[in-house]
Amino acid sequence: MDKKNSFLKRFRLPAGLFFVALILPLVVSEFWVHVFTEIIILGLFAAAFNLIFGYMGQLSFGQAAYYGIGAYTTGLLMVKLQWPIFVCLPVSMITAGLGALILGYFCVKLRGIYFAILTMAFGQFVFFIIFQWYSFTGGDNGLQGINPPMWLFKANAYYYFSLAVVTIGMVLLYFITESPFGYTLKAIRDNTERTEFIGINVQRYMLINFVISGMFCGLAGALWGPFNRSVAPDLCSWQNSGHPVFMAVMGGPHHFLGPMIGSVIFTFLNAFVTGFTEYWPLVSGLVMIIVVLLMPGGLFGIIKSKGYFETKAVVLEGNNPGDTGDKKNE
Amino acid sequence: MEFTFLFSQFMSGLTYGLMLFLVASGLSLIFGVMNILNFAHATFWLIGAYICFTFWSLMEAHQFALWVSIPLAALATAAFGWVCEVVLIKRIYKRELHEQLLITYAMALILGDLIKIIWGPTDRLIVRPPIIQQPLHLFGAPIDSYFIFVILIGFTVAIGLWWFLKYTKYGHIVKAAVFSREMVGALGIPIPKIYTWVFTLGIFIAGLAGGVQSAIGSVTLGMDTNIIIQAFCVVVIGGFGSLMGTLVGSLIVGEVFSFAILYWPDGAMVLIFVITAAILIVRPWGLFGTPLRA
Amino acid sequence: MKSKKVFIGVFVLLMIGVFCIGSVQAADPYNLGVALGFTGTGTLYSKDQMEGIQVAVDEINAKGGFLGKYPVKIFQQDTQTKPDVGVRTVKDLILRDKVRAVINDYSSAVAVAVKPICREYKVIHIAAISNSENITKINYSPYTFQVVPNSYMQAKAASYAVAQLAQKKGWKEYVTLASDYEWGRSTQEEVVTDLKKVAPFLKVKKELWPKLGETQFASFVTSIMSMKPDFVYACLASKDNVTFTEQAKPYGFFDKIPYVGSMQSVTELITEAKTMPRGLVAISRAPFFAHMDVPMMANFVKNYRAKYNGKYPSDWAVMGYDAVYALKQGVEKAGSIDNDKVKDAMKGLSVDLTRGKLQFRPIDNQLRCSSYVGIVRDDPKYPFPILAELIEIKAADSERPEAEIVAARQAEKK
Repeated sequence: MDKKNSFLKRFRLPAGLFFVALILPLVVSEFWVHVFTEIIILGLFAAAFNLIFGYMGQLSFGQAAYYGIGAYTTGLLMVKLQWPIFVCLPVSMITAGLGALILGYFCVKLRGIYFAILTMAFGQFVFFIIFQWYSFTGGDNGLQGINPPMWLFKANAYYYFSLAVVTIGMVLLYFITESPFGYTLKAIRDNTERTEFIGINVQRYMLINFVISGMFCGLAGALWGPFNRSVAPDLCSWQNSGHPVFMAVMGGPHHFLGPMIGSVIFTFLNAFVTGFTEYWPLVSGLVMIIVVLLMPGGLFGIIKSKGYFETKAVVLEGNNPGDTGDKKNE
Repeated sequence: MEFTFLFSQFMSGLTYGLMLFLVASGLSLIFGVMNILNFAHATFWLIGAYICFTFWSLMEAHQFALWVSIPLAALATAAFGWVCEVVLIKRIYKRELHEQLLITYAMALILGDLIKIIWGPTDRLIVRPPIIQQPLHLFGAPIDSYFIFVILIGFTVAIGLWWFLKYTKYGHIVKAAVFSREMVGALGIPIPKIYTWVFTLGIFIAGLAGGVQSAIGSVTLGMDTNIIIQAFCVVVIGGFGSLMGTLVGSLIVGEVFSFAILYWPDGAMVLIFVITAAILIVRPWGLFGTPLRA
Repeated sequence: MKSKKVFIGVFVLLMIGVFCIGSVQAADPYNLGVALGFTGTGTLYSKDQMEGIQVAVDEINAKGGFLGKYPVKIFQQDTQTKPDVGVRTVKDLILRDKVRAVINDYSSAVAVAVKPICREYKVIHIAAISNSENITKINYSPYTFQVVPNSYMQAKAASYAVAQLAQKKGWKEYVTLASDYEWGRSTQEEVVTDLKKVAPFLKVKKELWPKLGETQFASFVTSIMSMKPDFVYACLASKDNVTFTEQAKPYGFFDKIPYVGSMQSVTELITEAKTMPRGLVAISRAPFFAHMDVPMMANFVKNYRAKYNGKYPSDWAVMGYDAVYALKQGVEKAGSIDNDKVKDAMKGLSVDLTRGKLQFRPIDNQLRCSSYVGIVRDDPKYPFPILAELIEIKAADSERPEAEIVAARQAEKK
């Protein structure tokens, strides 16, 4: 009885969100269904990014590369070979994962700012390859004609399809973060040296995590292509890599649903602001500064919902290692 | 390939490299001393270019217009940079890496739009004074005479910074802060003031570079996002906080680019990123950086 | 803490509610969407076009609007010259603002990405700045119309003019300098192919491909000069062309090597009046001074100058104005604002525009408009140089043969 209650209690928030997501198309106009599709796809992207950031403590400024690889894989397969979307999605995860494996192999040798810059450099590297390889990828033109199958053509249909895929993705990610693997990541984040001392091969864990993150970034990208009916090299740009960073920071990187909530706020804001001004960079820059300076820990950090989806390993109430009263990681 | 042709390419690469040096030296300095990777650095550069244009257009009729506008632009940009440091950058020194990156990125966005609001979307073009309208001929190769000026400024700034760091008291303090800010603070030297002035100096150089750039082509929106990544590459290759490194890094990038477009035009940018990545993997602190900085 | 969560939840639901209500548009006005690149490289052209559109809409609304009873309401969005933003903003215009037609974009890549969206939602799509042939040649959409001479037409017109010059001056070898993006690539390809046909004695010595937005052209300048070609054929994006020109002038480039093919729209002629080298052989898309004898053009120039402080309209303003009037005449022929009827009416329709009476070619909805080649020279009538010795190359002489279009479409089906 107790177990059931605490289970329900723990998953109140995600269940609530999922319920709202389910009934959404029934109450809002088609335009907002499009916006919400965008929100959940980008939310998956941000959550995948957060595996490296919130859970492992490193800042990758180049995850858009794997998002883009996933998007282009699906795009190319659907346009040139007419493969069905169900096959394209997992294949995109594989190609994005491969990309993450090759590039990540080098990235995980570094930490801190060097890690960040190398991921950025690799992101640009992927961007320019896609951009210059005109004959294969269509270059700056991008790829058009990425049409989902007839039964997913309508906005509501694609929305529910994306919701299903994103939910499965998030559930998988959640299991990964709550597994021993996930806890090891948090240990690496909190104290890399000590984790090495207890015999964990930190680099190998970081690489595996990098690949997993890349795969789910690729999955998000794969959903994006058919949604937009086209892909363009901009998907891999460093500016696009910045979006999941901002979403994770805004929602709260130390909570599993933080990135998704960040996506809700950011995308809403974008859709709303661009409706009446062309100075979206100015507005988004100001919002970013306000969030970073005044809302450390993001939205969830403010709510301070202790207990569920906490990424910080909690051993005993109030007696945690590293609890020096410094609220930095809260 | 004949010598004159190779020499022309070399000179173009040298000029491009020195322009990158001017943009990147401030970036490297700021990172070396304060550990802040200033995403908005190129935007300050662009502001310098626009301000220079505005000064120039006020004095258009006079021959000396350009030569006066450039230092004025540098000063104006530095003043603006000083304001930004005091208002915003000051608050992020103790923050985490991701917060610093996001703040400087946000600043780049805001300043970029500010440029658009103030100067609008029209391209701005400076008409060159007659003295630099004709090409010079060196070793039989035609060289844009303005480039001589760029090269002079580039080397002057390099030598000036070197002399500053090596021979002046403030320079010594800055160099020491690159190695260990704690010790410098422990010696009773006010770190926040040092940071403010280093940042302002870095932005001064960026503004100067912008002024110099304004006479090279037209000044347009978006030039900053184009060049900031290249500046990052330069700083990575050369090593953060190292003046020599930034100079060598910019020359490498400039010449690699200049010759790559002859033989592999599609791959010129890709090549730059490959080199950057290689340096990060093999020697993350760059060719001339200090391994102590991690 | 619990109340905080409740508060957040209510706030979120409230936000959703507010956005749900959205904006319900009355059926009476004719909602016209303008989705252009107001930020990014195309800012200037996009703003110019917006002005031309505004003049047209003001004139039409003064008479009651389309069919005298549907006042035109403009909804403006910035595509940021990015395909995915373009798609999103056009969806926004269609779904939220219920526009019936969209004028889009500065960038060919964006226009091509927006095409299927307009087709899906049955919204008229008029391209009035970007001119890649791919907008009309392949992936045909009955809702998309092109009022700009497309890249094929422009290239063919240019080669026609170049062939004449080459023969006159005894040119043999040339270098191409093209911006590495869709427009640059398709234009360069067309030119090279055309020149092979009309001037087979010409040889390409080298192809140079600076990236779009290149700021350092010195290396390109020096390498071209060392190759000493008879002329340079340039397909640089307008801003890059300015940068190139500025950086090449001090080398004495323009005294030594004929520079052909750059597009110098009225925008460039005005903004670079002081610095553009005279004597450039340039191509243009819709220069107002070529058609001052057409009453509609003279009237447009007058109204435009009155509204915008004596400024002269650029090609983009002209084509924005033409786009709106083409749409108006389509609505008049259909007798209704229903989009399916309008699109059917516009197919093959001959419209009275500032550039004359022109027809939309049925096979690809491309307006059969002219291209213009001339030499940059000062003119006492205007405070800026114009294209003198103007050659107007009509569509009949520059459009792609229908057989080739059919073949291209069959090839893409495979």
